[in-house]
Amino acid sequence: MEQLLVPVMCKVDKIIDETPDIRTYRLKMNDPAKMESFGWMPGQFVEFSLLGHGECTFCISSSSTRQGYFDCSIKRAGIVTADIHSQLEEGMDVGIRGPYGNWFPVDDIKGKNLLFVGGGIGLAPLRSLIQYCIDNRSDYKDFTILYGARTSSDMCYKEEIEEWKKNPSLKVILTIDKPEETWKENVGVVPKILEEVVKPGTENTKVITCGPPIMIKYTLVSLDKLGFAPKDVITTLEMKMQCGLGKCGRCNIGSTYVCKDGPVFTYEQLKSLPDEF
Amino acid sequence: MNVFLVETDKTGLQKFYEEIIGKFETYAPVEKFGKYDYKRISKLDECDPDSPIETTMSIKPLFFPKTAKVMKFKEDNTGTTISETDEDSLTGKRIILGVKHCDARGLQVLDQVYNWDYIDTDYQKRRGNTVIISTRCDKAGTQCFCTSLDYDVEKSDAHDIRIVNGLDGKIYIQAVTQKGEGFVKENISQQSAVGSQQSLEEIKKHYKSFEASFRLKMDYKEVNEKLQKLFDSPEFETVSSNCIGCNTCAFICPTCHCFKITDEKIKDTGVRYKSYDSCNNGYFTLMAGGHNPRPVKYRRWRQRALHKFVYYKERFGMNLCVGCGHCAISCPVNISIFDVVNQVAKV
Repeated sequence: MEQLLVPVMCKVDKIIDETPDIRTYRLKMNDPAKMESFGWMPGQFVEFSLLGHGECTFCISSSSTRQGYFDCSIKRAGIVTADIHSQLEEGMDVGIRGPYGNWFPVDDIKGKNLLFVGGGIGLAPLRSLIQYCIDNRSDYKDFTILYGARTSSDMCYKEEIEEWKKNPSLKVILTIDKPEETWKENVGVVPKILEEVVKPGTENTKVITCGPPIMIKYTLVSLDKLGFAPKDVITTLEMKMQCGLGKCGRCNIGSTYVCKDGPVFTYEQLKSLPDEF
Repeated sequence: MNVFLVETDKTGLQKFYEEIIGKFETYAPVEKFGKYDYKRISKLDECDPDSPIETTMSIKPLFFPKTAKVMKFKEDNTGTTISETDEDSLTGKRIILGVKHCDARGLQVLDQVYNWDYIDTDYQKRRGNTVIISTRCDKAGTQCFCTSLDYDVEKSDAHDIRIVNGLDGKIYIQAVTQKGEGFVKENISQQSAVGSQQSLEEIKKHYKSFEASFRLKMDYKEVNEKLQKLFDSPEFETVSSNCIGCNTCAFICPTCHCFKITDEKIKDTGVRYKSYDSCNNGYFTLMAGGHNPRPVKYRRWRQRALHKFVYYKERFGMNLCVGCGHCAISCPVNISIFDVVNQVAKV
């Protein structure tokens, strides 16, 4: 038996409906001892299998500072994710392999101002880091979270965002693409709000961004305009992966294995890769 | 390189073969309809260790099976349980006869990717249990270019034992690795080791014309350096236009190692498989939601060519092509990786 490819069984403890097509699955390992020793860093991912349907790659969207469970936020996008949404219920078993990949440089960003820029489901990996940083609040300076979605109902983690808003040590800015009647916050795409409303200073600041490719593309342009150095912009890549072990060859970009050397990269590192992602 | 040599002749070699075939699980090239493939054998006359042409498939499947069961699973009302598959335990000692030097080198290349960071234990076990006995080629096949690449065929240590011809019908059994030396000493009794220097000179004389028999030759260093800067070359479109995307080249290649993981479930029991896949498949990098970083054929060929001749070398220090020519021989539209990289690098 190829031990590397065999998952550990976990139970779905709770399913949270985030948006019409995104759900968060809270998981606990069947073996409590394994759950206790299961450690991960923000930005790492797991291979999640609904046995008989297939295996998918998802980042862990909660922080290991909150023990006893871990979350995977899953957007219905393809065959397996559709099966997960329609067939996976609370109390059922799923297989988990991991955690794999590198993580956000939590030590390098100590003592810095943090600016999180997220779009849609892209908030999932950031949430893990945000929770981690909130739980180690004294290690970090100013906190700004800019989060955008297409519509107000497409926003993930609504309850948690309300909590963040109440937290005096966090600055939360929300935006949606088009105006809605009951919406009182910003309207406009993320890069525009970043330039016009947030107007972040570059001094001692690290930007952590994740979102749909088109948002990332223009956010990087805006950050460049605002004067951020590419080494201060950190993002996490999404690529087709299957093994997560640096073997199956899917996630190669040049000689880089996204599943081993990534998924977290600085913009500076991304610039040195062949343009194939 | 180890130079433990045993001198013998044709009948002595046959005796050696017969003896070890009787003792161990043996694989060797077996002829069928004029083509050769590695099969399990129990008698020497079933196979031809000196097969004159390359086998259709490399020896890769003996280490990295075309389809392997990863595990079984069963669902009931308490949940899902995972169990071991009833595959072989991988503990029996195996030998492979008549391996070509290029095929053996392919394993050395695969070792790099399977043994970095996470270690593939099944592959490791199969490697550890297998003694590779190669046969030295007398001359090159039409698609061979092993002498043009980044390894020295003469000094290869990819096999454990190699069979080489000397002058006047002499045959040498040369142990190359420690494992090979142990194996020879254990399984050959009648002959004793010979002084090596003179014999090595004789071997050189016998293979004098080997280098000259190659139709295909290239300057590896130059091609590698040029390709590093040719990611945006429009030539990739030209060289790949004939490809029908059948993936034969990847499946029979001694070094291609991409795989996929799939589940099969009937009612409440199922099996997870690991099987061959290829970067030439359109869906290889297709993500849920529709984004595909390599949506068109020339980009997939660019990945294939550059992975073989640039990326793998950069990452693991070895070229991901061993110059065996398997792919060119079996390709239904006559695409050869040799032509591809040379045509791109030429412009």
